Amino acid sequence: MENNRKIIRQSLSNRIVHWGIAISTILLIVSGFGNMPMYKRYNIVKLPFGEFLGSFINMLYLHYLSAAFLCFFVFYHLFVHYFAKEFDILPRKGDVTQSFLIIKAMITKSQEPPSDKYLAEQRIAYAFIGGNVLTLVITGFIKMLKNLDSINIPNSINTIVTNIHNAATMLLILGLIGHIAAFIFKENRKMIPGMFTGKLDEDYVKHRHSIWYENLTDDEIDVSNNVTKEEKKFETSSM
Amino acid sequence: MSNGINRREFLKRSTAAGIASVLTLTVGNEIAKAESELSNKATIIDLTKCDGCVNLGTPACVTACSKKNSDKFPVVNEELLKPYWPQPKFEDHSKNKDITDRLTPYNWTFVDKVEVDGEIISIPRRCMHCDNATCLGMCPFGAIEKENSGAVCINDELCFGGAKCRDVCPWSIPQRQAGVGIYTKIAPEYIGGGVMYKCDFCSDLLKNGQKPACVTSCPKNAIIFGEKEELRKKVYELAKEMNGFVYGDKENGGTSTFYLSKIPFEKINDQLKKQNTSPEGPIMGRPLMEPEIENKLDTVTGMAISAAIAPIAGIITAGYVASKRLKGEKTDGK
Ligand code: HEM
Ligand code: HEM
Ligand code: SF4
Ligand code: SF4
Repeated sequence: MENNRKIIRQSLSNRIVHWGIAISTILLIVSGFGNMPMYKRYNIVKLPFGEFLGSFINMLYLHYLSAAFLCFFVFYHLFVHYFAKEFDILPRKGDVTQSFLIIKAMITKSQEPPSDKYLAEQRIAYAFIGGNVLTLVITGFIKMLKNLDSINIPNSINTIVTNIHNAATMLLILGLIGHIAAFIFKENRKMIPGMFTGKLDEDYVKHRHSIWYENLTDDEIDVSNNVTKEEKKFETSSM
Repeated sequence: MSNGINRREFLKRSTAAGIASVLTLTVGNEIAKAESELSNKATIIDLTKCDGCVNLGTPACVTACSKKNSDKFPVVNEELLKPYWPQPKFEDHSKNKDITDRLTPYNWTFVDKVEVDGEIISIPRRCMHCDNATCLGMCPFGAIEKENSGAVCINDELCFGGAKCRDVCPWSIPQRQAGVGIYTKIAPEYIGGGVMYKCDFCSDLLKNGQKPACVTSCPKNAIIFGEKEELRKKVYELAKEMNGFVYGDKENGGTSTFYLSKIPFEKINDQLKKQNTSPEGPIMGRPLMEPEIENKLDTVTGMAISAAIAPIAGIITAGYVASKRLKGEKTDGK
């Protein structure tokens, strides 16, 4: 018999941040590439919306606009978790070995090591994607300063900052490919509803995130079922 | 008129001061240093004096420029002259190095001619050396530099030849040569297109305290060189005396090149448009003189400010949400 009770994993705030950052990042990649002379050359301008994409100034507006949104979400995210002292997703010692073991287990279909709220590779993915986004935000701001009439950024700084901004873009794209590719594994797909409804199946959490499951707070149990974790555990184990 | 200039200068400096004070000490110091060493040079191109060197085959400034810069012109690897995939074309001027009637990678200045109200006007054309150069700001490789003299220079070792600078320059000044530069070392058929070339204000001469070659070679003294602020004043004085017009002080947010003319630039531009447009569009390397060109980079300043406010808004929202959450936890506990 299947247990269809849910565990609350992602607050509304987290979901808004994730999708806010995801959408603005995608727009920043599209408009960032649009700031490079490539849409005309590679005939992207011949596709629908091509004319819009082919205009450097449109792409600059879009880049600035999505940068403003991204910065809002990034700073909101950093500070809300800092104020609320929530650090579940920060990388820990031994995460690299641990993620290797998890990926190996997924491929060989064997038993995974027990995980907390986030898998070790999720914490690494977070640090990698987050680090690149932060680099892009910092270098992006310097690039914006350079565009102001009143500011003269020294040439050497301008060249370095531009190259870091471009390199971080490439790394971020690799990171995002990895992020999406993670869902090729069936095991990981069970996490997807968490980013939409906020909830995960209890069975999944119990098996895959056993450390987190042991320490669930009342808040994290779906109250719409009107049961506590102990009752749930009892019910599932008696089945 | 001087009022408008003062106000603009004032605005520029006060925003500079405001933003500089926000910056960290080190960056602030760099900027302050760059500012203090800055001694902006400029030229007045007096269209009432230039006659296009009617008696010479090629105008003297054009000859002087190409002689002075011959060692900077592109040296092409013939094997790499291939179309820019997937486009069928590539830009090669190496077979036409002698062309002097337009801008090319091998010809950084030329003298255009128009007839307005029965009078022939000769117009030396080249890079204007803009104050907030759009080519520089929007180069995706940071390959364009502005020197303390105000000279805007393309670094031929960093340029990939995507020609974005030409697209965003209001006068489409930089010109591309395929088969040279850093792109040849990566994946020449698929990325990059060569190197962009244009007038560099004779940057090396300026660094030695000398004047640009086109200035010293002009037999009519039609190109005046000097301190920018002085020349700015001077060109308006001259314009007032002759009831004439100035082009280049306001355009693209300000440049280091002031054209002086008795005939309105709108009329000159109408003529230029007729001559320099073909059925396929504008003729490459033959710039127009569109009046009142606004600087595209200035139009994003407001958006930059919103992006600067966004982090603060994010932090405030975070504080609000976190405090509500903590309060909620407390009441839950009761
Ligand atoms: C477009 C499709 C995307 C989908 C379907 C998706 C889905 C997800 C899911 C299901 C999670 C795991 C949540 C959990 O552990 O409960 C997650 C986490 C995360 N997402 Fe996305 N996401 C997408 C795009 C993006 C983009 C564009 C970014 C860009 C910055 C991003 C950044 C992150 C980060 C940093 C994490 C946390 C680390 C991790 O769990 O790997 N995501 N995403
Ligand atoms: C996911 C994040 C981002 C990505 C993938 C990205 C990507 C890019 C790319 C590919 C370019 C074109 C190459 C170049 O000029 O260096 C670019 C340019 C630029 N980016 Fe970003 N960027 C991101 C975030 C930001 C942010 C947050 C800001 C500002 C706060 C910013 C400001 C700029 C500016 C000012 C330019 C130069 C545009 C110009 O003057 O032509 N970017 N970006
Ligand atoms: S005239 Fe064109 S090429 Fe010259 S500095 Fe201005 S934008 Fe750049
Ligand atoms: S300033 Fe120097 S490089 Fe520019 S047009 Fe005059 S001679 Fe040529």
